Amino acid sequence: MTGLVGFLIFAVVSALIFGAVSIGWRSVLVILLDTLPVPVSIAGVEVSPIHEDILLQIRLPRVLLAAAVGSSLAVAGAVFQGLFRNPMADPYVIGISSGAALGAVFAMLSGFSLVLGGFGAVPLFAFGGGIITIMLVYSMARVGRAVPVMTLLLAGIAVSAFLSALVSLLTYFAGERLHMVVFWMMGGLGGATWHQVKVMVPYALVGYICVSVFSRDLNAMLLGEETASNLGVNTERVKKIMLAGSSLLVAAAVSTSGIIGFVGLVVPHFVRLVAGPDHRFLLPASALLGGTLLIATDTLARVIIAPSELPVGIITALLGAPMFLYLLKKRKKLRYFGGGG
Amino acid sequence: MGLNIEVHGLKLAYDAQPVLEDTNFSVERGDLVALLGANGAGKSTLLRCISRILKPNAGHIMLDGTELKHFDSKEAARKMAVVPQETTADFDFTVEDIVMMGRFPYLNRFQKEDQSDREIVQRSMEMTGVAHLARRSITALSGGEKQRVIMARAVCQQPEALLLDEPTANLDIGYQSMLLELAARLNREQEVTVIAAIHDINLAVHHFNRFILLSGGRVMSAGRAEEVITPDNIQKSYGVPATTYRHPLHGVLQVSVVREKTRVEGHTKRPVVHVIGGGEEALPVLELLIGRGCRLSVGPVSAQDSGCRFAHFHSLPVVIVPPFTSMNGVHKEEHLELMRKSDLVVVPPIPFGEGNLPIFEEVEAVLKEGKPVYLIDLAGVEKRDYSGHAPQLLKNLVQRGAVVLEKLEDLPGVVDRHGGSDNG
Repeated sequence: MTGLVGFLIFAVVSALIFGAVSIGWRSVLVILLDTLPVPVSIAGVEVSPIHEDILLQIRLPRVLLAAAVGSSLAVAGAVFQGLFRNPMADPYVIGISSGAALGAVFAMLSGFSLVLGGFGAVPLFAFGGGIITIMLVYSMARVGRAVPVMTLLLAGIAVSAFLSALVSLLTYFAGERLHMVVFWMMGGLGGATWHQVKVMVPYALVGYICVSVFSRDLNAMLLGEETASNLGVNTERVKKIMLAGSSLLVAAAVSTSGIIGFVGLVVPHFVRLVAGPDHRFLLPASALLGGTLLIATDTLARVIIAPSELPVGIITALLGAPMFLYLLKKRKKLRYFGGGG
Repeated sequence: MGLNIEVHGLKLAYDAQPVLEDTNFSVERGDLVALLGANGAGKSTLLRCISRILKPNAGHIMLDGTELKHFDSKEAARKMAVVPQETTADFDFTVEDIVMMGRFPYLNRFQKEDQSDREIVQRSMEMTGVAHLARRSITALSGGEKQRVIMARAVCQQPEALLLDEPTANLDIGYQSMLLELAARLNREQEVTVIAAIHDINLAVHHFNRFILLSGGRVMSAGRAEEVITPDNIQKSYGVPATTYRHPLHGVLQVSVVREKTRVEGHTKRPVVHVIGGGEEALPVLELLIGRGCRLSVGPVSAQDSGCRFAHFHSLPVVIVPPFTSMNGVHKEEHLELMRKSDLVVVPPIPFGEGNLPIFEEVEAVLKEGKPVYLIDLAGVEKRDYSGHAPQLLKNLVQRGAVVLEKLEDLPGVVDRHGGSDNG
């Protein structure tokens, strides 16, 4: 765990140093120290005010937002994989992304100029779309007072397919805004602001606390709902809280950064391969690794074709998939999800 | 320890298809109960109602006099542990992790497992013989090992009642006994109430002392083995003709399903066969002949003999002698009459002693009258002769025209050649 914290700090610092304008690590240190209430001075380093602005107003919020989004997606992915006992599950599996995308695309095409709490129409509609979708899926899957996870998964896939079709339909008529729509769907952290960080982080924290408090329950749920229930887990309540918590995480992430793929699918698998399926470790470790991975890939996205940048989703998939396959191969066999037989 | 479980008027239907209909029974503190019944009789459904997985449509389940619905999840899990037929173990938990999950109902949300929990886990694993697997992944275990791990978890839950749902269905005979013996041990040593749904009645009678037989969602019979496991009850609940007998080694009640004989076409043409003697040597002959649609008569056999039970079961004419008496002459007329009525007489490879030597005289008599007599497998006759005379007497029969069949498999051909007569 300390190793993962170290990774994260290293990623943060590297991300602050690299960019279209390279800022030396000493300058980074001085600028960061300057923000502390206690005056600390390092002799012999001159910092240009432009660098200070770039670092504090552009790079730092972006890095922090990447950390928050990456963590949220990875934790939500871990929760969904556990809840559905399905290795294919990712944060978007029950349609939050399609709902968010529909909301976002609708906002973009209709040209709403709504602003609420410092946010434009796109993130607001995306967030709302995601939350409404999950509520819809939940109510469709409900049988009496229980929600069978398999029904939930299937309802999610069906609703997701339907909403994706609507998104495609809208995209078809997007005209000159097509570029904007496509770019949003690929996901990215460009234009991150402190305001976004301030709003995103509380959502992420609340969502994270919700799910992590129930991580022992989720362990028992991996053995099947009946077994969990026999062990004293209130399975229906756990499912509701897990869904609510992870939906919050995903909706917050998607509304600020669009649909960034792969982080939420792969990071929990990485952690499980190395450290086993115990959610009490898996969730915090996924949060740290997810944050680190997204910071790293976002930095690459900024640097590779600087001063222009690539959508970060492309990088996460390009790098994450081969790394994951390498790990699978090296492990020879899947140590989880029924691979041990 | 020990939990009193009462079930009153339980009703449950899946999609209007009733599974439990007014189910009533009570299980006392420290009972060791086997729940019997055919597939679909409601065994699993009943257990799943008690373990709160299913909500009955009507009726009450009481634990020590308190309604089940007044217990919350963790309270119920401290009272009852469940061992299912099979546990999906797709995730890479270690055995120790799995067993530790049995502590879940005792830990609050922010509490970590402490030393005492670890000790309970260790003891549970030792009791079920999986301590050496503690660090192994559950996914790498065999079915039998896995089921013992699940048992360890149940023990670790320190329940007052243990519910087992077909716990041995996927295990080999060694693990079957081991697992049920573990349950019986928990019952003996810690007075844990045990209710186990189980298919294998013959296995159940070895380990349990109370039986509840379900049929069509109702309790058909409850009590000791002798009260519950009767041919009549088995016929009614499982829909197959059955016979009960005592286990030759353990003396416990055993059930055997009677095979439905496929009656051979036109069986009236089949010969009437008289089979001499009973016991293990005669039974295969009797089974074979009745399977081919022959009409049979049996004897002389002693009243406790398996051949005698066979004859009674199939309502066959039989010559019975009281146990421990010599056959000397007493039943001669009866025996001769049965042999005369038959088309042929078969002498299975039965043992001979002073007591049954008179048989030879009687067989010789009908042989002289022209009755065909077949002797099966004379090769090892010395080994089954305790009188010192049988080999010679058998030789005499052969000289008088008895036919020797080297093996049992030759008998069907003989029977087919004989065809039937009208004197049966």
